[in-house]
Amino acid sequence: MTHRVTEPLHPVARDLQAPPEGLHRFPPSALWDSWEEYDARAWPRREKRQYSLIPTICFNCEAACGLLAYVDKRTLRIQKFEGNPAHPGSRGRNCAKGPATLNQVTDPERILYPLRRAGGRGEGKWERVTWDEALDDIAGRIRKALVEKRPTEVMYHLGRPGHELVYLQRVFHAWGIDGHNSHTNVCSASARAGYAFWHGLDRPSPDHARARVILLLSSHLEAGHYFNPHAQRIVEGKQAGAKVCVVDTRLSNTASMADWWLSPWPGTEAAMLLAMCHVLLRDGTWDREFVRRWVNWEEYLREEHPARPVTFDAFEAAVKALYAEYTPEFAERESGVPAARIEEVAREIGRAEGALSTHVWRNAAAGNLWGWEVARALELLVVLAGAVATPGGTAPSGFNKAIPAPPMMPPPAKVWSELLMPREYPLAFFEMSFLLPHLLRERRGKLAMYFTRVYNPVWTNPDGMSWIEMLTDEAKVERHACLTPIWSETAHFADYVLPMGHASERHDLMSQETHAARWIGFRQPVLRVALEKQGKRFDWTWQAHEAAGLGQVWEEDEFWIELSWRIDPDGALGIRKYFESPYRPGEKLRIEEFYRWIFESSVPGLPAAAQKEGLTPLEYMRKFGAFLVEGGVYASHEKPPAPAEREGAAVDPLTGVVAKGGAAVGVEIDGRVAVGFPTPSRKLEFYSKTLKDWKWGDHAVPTYARSHVHWSVIDRTQGEMLLLPTFRLPTLIHSRSGNAKWLYEISHSNPLWLNPEDAARLGVGTGELLKIETEIGHFVDRVWVTEGIRPGVVACSHHIGRWRLQESTGGERWSTALVDLKREAPGRWRMRHVHGVRPFPSADPDSSRVWWEDAGVHQNLTFPVHPDPVSGQHCWHQKVRAARPGPDDRYGDVFVDTDRAHEVYRRWLAMTRPAPGPGGLRRPLWLPRAFKPDASAYRIEGP
Amino acid sequence: MRYGFVIDQRKCIGCHACTVACKEENAVPLGVNRTWVKYIEKGTFPDTRRYFTVLRCNHCDDAPCVTICPTVALYRRSDGIVDFDGARCIGCKSCMQACPYDALYIDPETQTAAKCHYCAHRVEVGLEPACAVVCPVQAIVAGDLDEPATPIARLVATQPVQVRKPEQGTLPKVYYLGAEASALSPEMQRRDGQYVFAQVSDIPVPGQPNRASAPLPPPPSAPLDLRALARTVYDVAHPERPWGWKVSAYLWTKSVAAGALLVAGLGMLSGLASGNELAGRAAPLLALLFLFLTTALLVADLKRPERFLYLLFKPNWRSWLVWGGWILIAYGGAAAAWLAAGITGHPHALVYLAGPVVLLAVAAAGYSAFLFGQAEGRDFWQSPLTLPHLVAAALAAGSAALLLVARARGGGLGAPWGLRLLLLGALASLAVVLVAELFGSHPTRDAARAARWLARGPLATRLWVGVVVLGLALPCAMLVTSSPAAWTVAAALALAGLWLYEDLWVRAGQAVPLS
Repeated sequence: MTHRVTEPLHPVARDLQAPPEGLHRFPPSALWDSWEEYDARAWPRREKRQYSLIPTICFNCEAACGLLAYVDKRTLRIQKFEGNPAHPGSRGRNCAKGPATLNQVTDPERILYPLRRAGGRGEGKWERVTWDEALDDIAGRIRKALVEKRPTEVMYHLGRPGHELVYLQRVFHAWGIDGHNSHTNVCSASARAGYAFWHGLDRPSPDHARARVILLLSSHLEAGHYFNPHAQRIVEGKQAGAKVCVVDTRLSNTASMADWWLSPWPGTEAAMLLAMCHVLLRDGTWDREFVRRWVNWEEYLREEHPARPVTFDAFEAAVKALYAEYTPEFAERESGVPAARIEEVAREIGRAEGALSTHVWRNAAAGNLWGWEVARALELLVVLAGAVATPGGTAPSGFNKAIPAPPMMPPPAKVWSELLMPREYPLAFFEMSFLLPHLLRERRGKLAMYFTRVYNPVWTNPDGMSWIEMLTDEAKVERHACLTPIWSETAHFADYVLPMGHASERHDLMSQETHAARWIGFRQPVLRVALEKQGKRFDWTWQAHEAAGLGQVWEEDEFWIELSWRIDPDGALGIRKYFESPYRPGEKLRIEEFYRWIFESSVPGLPAAAQKEGLTPLEYMRKFGAFLVEGGVYASHEKPPAPAEREGAAVDPLTGVVAKGGAAVGVEIDGRVAVGFPTPSRKLEFYSKTLKDWKWGDHAVPTYARSHVHWSVIDRTQGEMLLLPTFRLPTLIHSRSGNAKWLYEISHSNPLWLNPEDAARLGVGTGELLKIETEIGHFVDRVWVTEGIRPGVVACSHHIGRWRLQESTGGERWSTALVDLKREAPGRWRMRHVHGVRPFPSADPDSSRVWWEDAGVHQNLTFPVHPDPVSGQHCWHQKVRAARPGPDDRYGDVFVDTDRAHEVYRRWLAMTRPAPGPGGLRRPLWLPRAFKPDASAYRIEGP
Repeated sequence: MRYGFVIDQRKCIGCHACTVACKEENAVPLGVNRTWVKYIEKGTFPDTRRYFTVLRCNHCDDAPCVTICPTVALYRRSDGIVDFDGARCIGCKSCMQACPYDALYIDPETQTAAKCHYCAHRVEVGLEPACAVVCPVQAIVAGDLDEPATPIARLVATQPVQVRKPEQGTLPKVYYLGAEASALSPEMQRRDGQYVFAQVSDIPVPGQPNRASAPLPPPPSAPLDLRALARTVYDVAHPERPWGWKVSAYLWTKSVAAGALLVAGLGMLSGLASGNELAGRAAPLLALLFLFLTTALLVADLKRPERFLYLLFKPNWRSWLVWGGWILIAYGGAAAAWLAAGITGHPHALVYLAGPVVLLAVAAAGYSAFLFGQAEGRDFWQSPLTLPHLVAAALAAGSAALLLVARARGGGLGAPWGLRLLLLGALASLAVVLVAELFGSHPTRDAARAARWLARGPLATRLWVGVVVLGLALPCAMLVTSSPAAWTVAAALALAGLWLYEDLWVRAGQAVPLS
C-alpha cells in the first residue's frame, strides 16, 4: 500500500504559524499576573481564559517541590497545578502527586467545616461547629492544664509537619510545654541515628548530578526523601556516566534502572557495606588524607587502645584489623549477594575519586533491629571514599538547608515529657511516638489535650488496634482534635475534626537538602492571595476560603496564633506576647507579618534580589515562591568559624576542639581552624564516645549485628518467611493521598510479592489468597508471583489497604473499603471487608466512573511494636508464617490480639539500657532532638 | 513544521507523572487515558528487570484515524499534530479500529472520541505539552522535527530510535530511544491476573461500564515459549471493544438487504425470474425493510446518534463510512424504484433497472470491505478475502431470505429461478472464503493471532459447530435433497449461521490487543 502524507482537512488546521521562539516550558514570569491560554475542554474552539499564576509548595511528600497554581480570575477556581520553574529543588518538574493536588482541592468528599462528634467516640456521628466554639473549648483545656502545671498533658502529634521549620517550636516553647510528637520513629529514626552518631546531622544530602557512583539503599527513582528532586539528579548523573547500584531486597523501579541490583536478605546490608569498606581498605583505594584530617581516630586510639601510639599508622592498622573479617565472602554468606558483585561495586567506588553519592532513609534502616548500623556502615563507606560534602559526594543534611530565624523565639521550656522520650530510650531519634498506647496502658500519664495533625496512627503505625483502644478511652485521652485536610481512620476517633488546608491552602516555609545548595520555598494559600490581588482583605485564611467557595478550610499558622491568644487572653501567662505583631506592638500577629519579618530579616540575599525586581521581600516570595540562598555548596565543614565566634574561643590542646563558653564552635586541624561537624569532637565520629558512655560500647564503632529477622531464625520448611512491609509506591503518599482519584486509579492494590520458588512450595499462584500470621494476629491478601523478590521473603507495600467504618463518612470512598470491625473479646479484634471501592454519586461525575474495586489489605494492624533499643525505630520487618487460607478466611481479613501486642512491647522494652547516662542526664545534651527543652530538663532528679 | 515526541526510555522512571499531568491539563475522565505507562518484567531472580514504556497517540503523518473519520472530527494540522474536534464527532468508533496504537477512546462525558492532541491548545500559546513539562527526568522531548537545530531533531538524527509498529506504514512521530523491544510489541507480552499495584482491568462487554473484572484468557499467541515472553506487570484500563453486536447485526441485515435485490436483479438479467410477486415486490420490500434495520443499527451504534446526518453534511470523502452512507441511500432509491415498478406492474422497467440495481447491491454489500480495510488497527479485517466474503454473504442471505419468503407464500412459487442452487453455491463459496480466512497465509502476526483466536481459541466451538456444521454443511446437505421443507429449514439455518459468522468475525478482529 502506498502512503502519502495526509493533508489537513479541518478548517482550523490550515496555515498554522510556528511560535516565533519555539515552544517554552512555562509562561514567562512577567506574565504570571495575567496569563491567557485556551480552554482545553472547549478546544478546538479558541476560548481564552485568564489566570493568575501563584506559586506554592506541594504537600504530597517531604520534598517540598514547587507548584504553580493557575487560578481562574473569573471563577476563582484553581484550574491546574504545574511545576514552579523558579524553584531550585524541583526546577519546574513534578511527580504524579504534584498535579494530583488538584484532586485533593476539588475532592467532593473533603471536610469543609469544623466538626464535633455528636455521639460516643468512634460512633461516627458529627455536627458542624464554628471555629469559635472549637477554639474556645480547646484553648480552655490547654489553659487549665498549663495553669495547673500539667504541661506534659498537652501533646501535638504530627505526621507530615504543617510547618517544616521553626514555627511550631515557637508555639510550644511559648506555651512552656514539651509536647511535640512526630511520626519519625515509624519512619527514619534508625537512619537518623546512624547519621547523627557520625556527623551530628541526621540526614544525608547526596550530590547525585555530579557523582561517579550512586549507591542507593533507597528507591529514589520512585519515592522517598526527596523523590522528584533526587530522581532528576540521579538520572542526570547516570546520563553523565555515573554507575548506579541499588541495594533493595525487592526489585524496585529504582533497582530496575540500576547498573547493579543487589538483593540481600533483609537486615544483612551492613555486612555487605562493611565488606565494601573492607575492599577499599584492602586495596588502598580509600582516602587516607581525608580520614586523617576529619575522622576522630585519635579519640578512638586514646579510648580503645591506650597502649598504642596515637599515630595515623596505628589507626590504619587498627581499622584494617577491625574490618578484616568483613570479607566479600563473609558478606555473601550473610546476605546472599555474590561476593564478586560486592567486589565489583566496591572497586567502582574505589575509582570514584570522592564522587560517591549515597542514601539510606527507610529501607534497611527502618526494617531491622540495629538498622542504624546500616546508615553508619554506609557513611563509613562515604568517609573512606573521601566523599563527604564533595562535588558528587554526600553531605550532611544541614549543610544544604536554609533555616531562617523567626521573630521572637521564646526560650525552651524546662519540661521533659516521659510520654515522648521515656528514659528507656535516651538516644532515640526522636519521640517514641508509636509506643504511646503502651505507655498510657502502663499508666505513665494521660493526655488532657491531644492533637493529631495529618497523622493517622490507627492506620500507619504498627499495632493500630491498641491505638483504637487508647483513643476510645476517655480517661487516657480526654480530648482529641484532628487537624486534617482529609478523612482518616484516626479522624474517625477524634472529638473534633478540624479542616486544614492542602498544599495550596496555607502558609509554610520549606527548605530541604535536595542537592548541593540551600534554598527556601514558600507555601501559600493561593485563593487568598488571588483574592487579595483583587483588593480584598481578610483576617483569616478560612474567611478567604469561604469567599472563594471552599467552606471554612483553615491553616495551622493562624490557628496557633488565635489559639495562643485564647489560651492567654490578657497576656498574664507570658504566651500572648509571642503572637503579637512585630510591626504593630500589642496587636495580634497577622500571618503575612510573620513571613514578611523573616523574608526581610533572616534570608541573606533575599532583600537585594527583591529590590532588583522592584519588589519587597514578601512580594518577591509571593510572586516566585522560592529563593536560592546559596548554590554550589561544598565542603562546608572546612569553612572557618565566623570571626565573632572565633574571638575569645580556646583550643583544647588534646582534641583540637575550639570552644567558647562551653560550646564548641570549631576544630583545629593541622594548625587551621574550621567549623567542622556538630559533634562533640567536631569531627566525623567513627568512634562514638557517646554510644560507649551510654552503655553501648559494643557498638562504639560501625559494626554489623544480626537483625531480629535474620535468616537463621526463619525456618522456611515450617512455612516461616520474612515479611518486608516497608515500601512506597511511586504514585501515593501514605494515608493523605486517598482523596486523589487519578493516583488511586493507577494504584489500588498491595498484593504479596512472592518468588515463584516460594509460590510453588506454598502451592499458590498469582491472584490466589495467602494468610500471613504475625506474632499478634494475621491478615489475608492476594499473591503476586514475581521474579523481583528474594526467595524466602514476602513483600507488601504499606501504601494501600485503607478502610472506613461507615458508608459515607470517616474515609475517602475513592480509596477505602467499607469494613466491619468487631471486638470479639477484650483485646481481640476482627476486621472483615464488607465491600471494596465502589462508584458513588457526588458533584464530581468521575465518582460514578470508579472502575476499580480493590482497596488492598491493611497489614500494619497485625504488627506488634518493635522499638530498636538505641534509635527507638520501629523495626518493621516481621517474621511471619505464610499458609493457604482456611475455608473461613476471606480477602482483607485481619485479626489482632492486643494483649499479645503488649507482651511483645514488654519483650522489646527489656532490651533497652535506660538513662540516666553520664551526669545523671536523660539524653546526651549534644544529640539532636526536635524542639530541645532547656538543659535543666535533661537532668533526672532525685536519688 | 512537524511536531513530534521523543520518549527517552533510558531516562524514564515509570512514575506516571505524564499520565496525571495529562489528565489534569485535559480534564480526562476516569477509566480512559490519553497517555499511560506500561510496565513489563523480564528475567529470573536475581537477574530481573522491569521496563517502563510511555504509550500514546503517535501523531502519524499518514494517520488511519484521520482517513477513516467520516466527519473530519479527526484531522492532521499543518504543524503535524493530529487533533480532534469533539463537536463534529458522531461517535462511530471507527477511529478506534483504525488506530494501530490504541490511542483513541470515547470520552464518557461527551460520548465523543478523544486522544492525545499534543496539547495543541498549549502549543498555540507557545507552550510545550503538559507531559513534557512535568516529566521529572525530561524523558519526554517535544518539538519540531523539521527544524534541524531543535533538541528533538538532533536526537532523532543522531540516536538509534524506534517507532511502534513501523510495518503499519502510518509514519508515526513518537520516537522511542533505548526502549526494550518487547515493551513496544504487545505480541511479545503475557499477563497474569494481578498487576504489581493495580487490578487487571479488561475489555468488558460492550455497553456495560468499564469495570474491573476477572481477566480474559490470555490472547492467542504465536507458538512461543511462554517463559521467553515479557510479563506485563502494570497496564491501565483499556477502552471497551468498540464494535459489538450492533455492528455484526448491521453486517447481517445489510447482507439480506443487498442480497434480496442482488438475487432478484440477477434473476431478471438471467431471465430466470420474472417481475412476479417475489422478484417485483417481495424482494424490494425485503431490501427496504432490512435497509431500514441496517440504518437503525448503524445509528444506534453511534455514541452520538443525534449527529447521524453529519455523515452527509460534514463528510470526509476519504472515509468509506461516508461512501457507504451514500451507497446505501442510492441503493435505497433503486430499491424504491424497483418496488414502484413491481407494484405498478411494469416488468419491462425491472429489466432496465436490473443492471444498476445489481451494481448498487454489490456496492452496498461490498463497501464494508473497504471500510473494514480502513480499520488499519485490525489486521484480520485487512484481508483481500473480505470483499468476496461480503458478496458471498449477500448472495447467501438474499437467496435464503427469498427462499423463505417463497416458501411462506405457498407452494405455488416453488423454488423459483434456481434460488436453491444459488444458495447452495453461495454457501459453498462462503465455506471456501472461511477456510481461506482461517487457514490461508496471514500477512501479519496480529492477523494470524486473530485467526487462531477464531479457529482454536475461545470462539472455536461457536465457529465449528454453529457456523461450519449448522450454518454451512447442514444446509448444503439439506439443499441437495428434494424436500422443499428441508430447503426451508436449510435457508433458516443458513441465515442464522451467517449472523453467527459475522458476529465471530467482528469479535475476532478486535481480540488482539493493540498495545
